[in-house]
Amino acid sequence: MTPHPLNASDRGAGPYLWRFSPIHRVLHVLIIVSFLGLAITGLPLRFAYAPWGRWLMQLVGGVVAAGLIHRVCAIITFGYFFAHLAYVTKLLLKTPDKKKIFWGPESIVPQPKDLFDVIAMFKWFFGKGPQPRFDRFSYMEKFDYMGVFWGVAIIGTSGLFLWFPTFFARLFPGWVFNVATIIHGDEALLATSFIFTIHFFNVHFRPGKFPIDTVIFTGRATTDYMREEHPLEYERLQRDGRMKDLVAPPASAAAHLWSVTMGFISLGVGVTVIVLVLWALLH
Amino acid sequence: MRMRALMRPLLILSAAALGGAARAPARGQAPGVQCAKCHANRDFIAGKGRLGQPDSMLYVPDTTLEHTAHASLTCAACHRGYDAGYPHHASQIVVPCRTCHEQAGNDWDASIHAANAATKGDAPSCVACHGNHRIYSAKDPRSPTYPLNVAGMCGRCHGDARIIGRYFTGPDKLQARIATVQFPKSVHGTALTDAGLIVSATCSDCHGAHKILPADSAASSVNRANIPATCGRCHAGIAQVFDASAHSPTYPRTPGASAAKKDRPVCSDCHSAHAIVRADQPRWLLGVVAECGSCHEREYETYFETYHGQVTQLGFGLVAKCSDCHTAHDMRSVTDPKSTVYATNLTATCGRCHAGANAGFVKYYAHPDPTNLGKYPRLFWPWAFMTGLLVSVMAFFALHTALWLMRSFIEYRRARQRAHGSKP
Repeated sequence: MTPHPLNASDRGAGPYLWRFSPIHRVLHVLIIVSFLGLAITGLPLRFAYAPWGRWLMQLVGGVVAAGLIHRVCAIITFGYFFAHLAYVTKLLLKTPDKKKIFWGPESIVPQPKDLFDVIAMFKWFFGKGPQPRFDRFSYMEKFDYMGVFWGVAIIGTSGLFLWFPTFFARLFPGWVFNVATIIHGDEALLATSFIFTIHFFNVHFRPGKFPIDTVIFTGRATTDYMREEHPLEYERLQRDGRMKDLVAPPASAAAHLWSVTMGFISLGVGVTVIVLVLWALLH
Repeated sequence: MRMRALMRPLLILSAAALGGAARAPARGQAPGVQCAKCHANRDFIAGKGRLGQPDSMLYVPDTTLEHTAHASLTCAACHRGYDAGYPHHASQIVVPCRTCHEQAGNDWDASIHAANAATKGDAPSCVACHGNHRIYSAKDPRSPTYPLNVAGMCGRCHGDARIIGRYFTGPDKLQARIATVQFPKSVHGTALTDAGLIVSATCSDCHGAHKILPADSAASSVNRANIPATCGRCHAGIAQVFDASAHSPTYPRTPGASAAKKDRPVCSDCHSAHAIVRADQPRWLLGVVAECGSCHEREYETYFETYHGQVTQLGFGLVAKCSDCHTAHDMRSVTDPKSTVYATNLTATCGRCHAGANAGFVKYYAHPDPTNLGKYPRLFWPWAFMTGLLVSVMAFFALHTALWLMRSFIEYRRARQRAHGSKP
């Protein structure tokens, strides 16, 4: 399989190295599908006043269909959220060095190094130092991860309140539904704005990545990619002699086609949504 | 409706009175004169070169008055003072209709038609609407004043842009221009034409038959002050409820309501005058929200902060709109114990859609304004926090992204310069 010119994770010399396991990849696909479904069925309500509100609501089949799609996607969201918690639990039980999961170079938990990396990054932006070198997860990836955690918790909880108001009214006064509406709508706006601009830029659109990076779909990237994007991890793997365990065959043509197609459709939907949101905000 | 009801005894009475007076001479005859000898003779009239001319009405077949409301009258009952000679010397060509139809005549005198007839000359008098010889009761389908025919008859003039241009001014002009276009499509118009309902309102039911007055005249049946009574003549049940509601002039104002300083609405403000549609149609239900909002501005704006408002704004009639909570005609102040939105009635009102709505549930703000700290502190702080979070996260990463792009561009240019420099 020849490297694809469009795909950042195919760039440079091989061999390919595994970066994401099947559970990571499946959960991320579930996030994409449910998140896009939630966004295009929820935003017409948030921007009901926008000129495109009615049009998008009709496109997704009207408010009844939109409500159904939104709830199905919500169930998928709760599904991947708890599947991830189960995965972390399993990891905890399986890993002998449990601390490694919550701290250290391989952990996704934000640590002092991430703060230093942010500072170093800004220094680099102004030409006052070298670009920081990232380990397994850059601070941007950690922020994305924590963002989904916080987002699902807060949107999910407020969403459940709005889904079952008469049930929650037995426990809370009715104005919590006003609060839930504010939180749900504003957090949704934050999530979509962030994912469809910042996440897209950091992962797919910035120089060196443009126009797409399918590592989350195929699970693998070239050694050159790893050396440039995650140099500390690359060096650590080399040092620990674990590199050979992670060598992966190139993705099949079908997997590659699927990844690029899925990726571009998602990017396209996201960019379209952000254009609509900007249109509504400036309207 | 009342006009039509009034006309009937009037016609019968006058016909009876006239019939008595004019019974002696033979039908179709003035005393000593055989009108029909000439006027029922088509060839004779044609011979005078009159047929086909405006005067062709001079040809009056024997059967003309048969079955009409004036069947019992003779020619001379109306055409008095003709002598037997020819050409006739008439001191009085036609007896005024009011001789018998006194009330109708007086009403017409008071009407805008009479005023226009006096000043401009071509406004309709009796014959323009009722015809001349073949005058039928308004109950007779052949009459232009039969309910199914009235709109077409009035439209002969009121659908004419020239006439509207000459007689109407100000806001009335627009109303007059669209009336004949809108009415046939309205619920009243389609009830007449599609459902064939003669009880449906037509022009004369609201505007009157004879005493037609412009809306700005205090005595007009379509004057703002009189509209609830006019509509209430048919919609009696609604009028009863409306007259006790917050929109009735006698209801005390709600202090602090955003509509408190406005004129109270009458039927036509929400339903329109000529474009009235069925109140159970989605198009109407969605449109009327904006009508309520045209006075209740603050309640209207804040309604769209809720799911109810958002779904409604998207054009779907599935969720609560103004009338679902406040009723369509029995709207009352929130402080009125009879109001559907009075504190102790809310569980029942919300419960109409939200089965199981309890005392906690109804503490929901249906018209929230999260930006108003004084009134909604519970909503202000979550709103302020979420807005702050949104703005700060996006601002930080927007800067991050912009600087990254800039740095990438600088690095790219440097790399190119290095490549060029090392080539030679």
